[in-house]
Amino acid sequence: MKERRGQGYLFVAPSVVILFVVALCPIAMAVWLSLRRVILVFHEDRFVGLANYRFLLQDSRFFAALGNTAYFAAVSLLIEVGLGLPIAMLLHRAFRGRGVLRAAVLVPWAIPTVVSARMWAWMWNPDYGLITRVLHTQDVDFLGMPAYAMHAAILVDVWKSTPFVALLLLAGLAGIPEELYRAARVDGASKRGIFFSITLPLLRPALVVTVLFRALDALRVFDAIYVLTGGGPANTTETLSIYSYKTMMRSGDFGYGSTLAVATFLVVVLVSILYLNTIGRGAVGTTEDKR
Amino acid sequence: MLTAGVSLAAAAAGGCRSRPPDRENAVVFKHQPLWGDPAPFRDMLASFERTSGVRVVTEVLPNAPDVMHQYFLTSLEGGTADFDILVMDVIWVAEFARAGWIADLSSAFPPEMLRRDLVGGAAESVLVGGRTYAVPWYMDVGLLYRRTDLVPEAPQTYQELEAAITSAQRARPELQGLLWQGKQSEGLVCNAYEAIWGHGGESLAADRLALDTEPARRGISYLRSLVERGLSPRQVLSASEEESRRAFQSGRAVFMRNWPYAWAESQHPSSPVRGKIAVSTLPSTSQSGEPGAGTLGGWQLAINERSPPARREAALALIARLTSLDANIEMAVHYARNPPRAAAYEDARLKERAPYIASLLPMVRQARPRPVTPYYAMVTDVLQSEISAAVSGLRSPEKALARAQKLADHLMGAHG
Repeated sequence: MKERRGQGYLFVAPSVVILFVVALCPIAMAVWLSLRRVILVFHEDRFVGLANYRFLLQDSRFFAALGNTAYFAAVSLLIEVGLGLPIAMLLHRAFRGRGVLRAAVLVPWAIPTVVSARMWAWMWNPDYGLITRVLHTQDVDFLGMPAYAMHAAILVDVWKSTPFVALLLLAGLAGIPEELYRAARVDGASKRGIFFSITLPLLRPALVVTVLFRALDALRVFDAIYVLTGGGPANTTETLSIYSYKTMMRSGDFGYGSTLAVATFLVVVLVSILYLNTIGRGAVGTTEDKR
Repeated sequence: MLTAGVSLAAAAAGGCRSRPPDRENAVVFKHQPLWGDPAPFRDMLASFERTSGVRVVTEVLPNAPDVMHQYFLTSLEGGTADFDILVMDVIWVAEFARAGWIADLSSAFPPEMLRRDLVGGAAESVLVGGRTYAVPWYMDVGLLYRRTDLVPEAPQTYQELEAAITSAQRARPELQGLLWQGKQSEGLVCNAYEAIWGHGGESLAADRLALDTEPARRGISYLRSLVERGLSPRQVLSASEEESRRAFQSGRAVFMRNWPYAWAESQHPSSPVRGKIAVSTLPSTSQSGEPGAGTLGGWQLAINERSPPARREAALALIARLTSLDANIEMAVHYARNPPRAAAYEDARLKERAPYIASLLPMVRQARPRPVTPYYAMVTDVLQSEISAAVSGLRSPEKALARAQKLADHLMGAHG
């Protein structure tokens, strides 16, 4: 028996090593860099302790980026789930051409974000853009006006990610046993009642996981916004990832850039923990516990 | 993002690698793609190889200055000797020189020689502390494009520009006035400096950026007022160079501020504005009497400090060849790139085979560099966001410039 246990460790060792090398090492390295002042151009590289974090707490640009990120994540998530659920329920019904439609819905998700962001940038274009043509909004410059730019970016994310949300929820719907619906109908439950007493509670694990996935993605958003606006106008669409990227890669300030990256990481971890312990409580891993 | 540390480590490791055998004695030249037929450029290199006996290997980087800057930042800091010659955007020279990543070329290309041979500000942008760190390969400059069917005479001052727009719009209200680049990007900084210089401002004052100054406030207020008064359409605030060019080329606007490249596209047989446009120097306030200055852009050649002495001579010879008068003219004729050498504009070959390029001499002469400082990469980030705030109306120009000054001073004072 003991020998077999040793073998077990041997078998998991490669996964542990890989996880350590690709996940933990970079994080540890970022934390280490965040405690240093590293300016490539000036060959500065010295330990400064928590000085970067102290600066972070007074950095209004950081808080602005945090606010932008939170707003982007909250609004896009709300719309994506709000649209994704009805779409999933629609696709769950049996009708002709369902397979084709299910595949077609995924097209926005399949297009690389950079490509779709570029495409949307042209659609928002006030001179030629499809949206401007259709809505007759020549006076509005969606990507150039502070009040609009973030919402334009949110729309791009909604367009891209709603299919993904719908697909995950569709998988959840497929897992709900048909007998429950039949029994409910026999008992004379209304459609509304069925939705709130059967569909929603049984969909909860899928919903919780979907929201978590999307929230983590949205909190780290980079590519779509970087291509659309570059963080502008006036940093009103600058997210934590964009700020961190600019600090590190454009300014060559690896110390503070890493501090921003670590802060982003902490925000993501904090949000996940809070989420899983409140709304998501008991939704994940409960099947094991109940048995 | 979290992988930055790893890439840093990888770059550091790269420095210890020895070169593949086929490059052992070759000069490696890293550059951005040159659009157009690659043959003339290859011929130029081949003729150098024949006459000098040096082998040249070229490696092309992506056509994105941000990505190139990032590549050079990490690889040069890592002490790579994988390449000998590199191209540099005009705004990187001071930064790379300060970091000690590029070699001092003063003995082969003395500063006084560059000042004598090159047009306008081209020499100043490659001199750091009175030493030469790079040699201009080709240059770019901000120009004013206009529709000659609407405005026959080039406006010299802002008042003339505004009057021309107003009268053109009176006849055809659907026309847009002046197009420029207001998207939060480096292009916006170029436009802002042109407006600041046009109002009598400077880039630097005693080692500080001159931002919280009267001419700067007037320059930025002018840009904002163009949008407010409808002299520029709202969409300039999200436009970069290509958006401007497309709108102008389709005949929607009277004026456009852009780089020389926009000309070639507008002369296509299918272009609606073909034969109806001309370029001139940018306007300025009437008081100065001087024409406005366009921002100096363009690419320079430099030598990697870690390139071994054995290859130095060959690398210097290649730079000399690529920046010679003949090469200047070939680059202009085949790739429509502006020569940095003043003599090229007098050359009959240029006048005959690239008359448009030759006609840009007055603008090239007026070209001014953005602040030449090792902090440029850091401060441009501040400039982009604060100027963007001012032109989009989020903050008043006074407030935005005061903030930009404070942040820039903080960045530049932190090192010394």
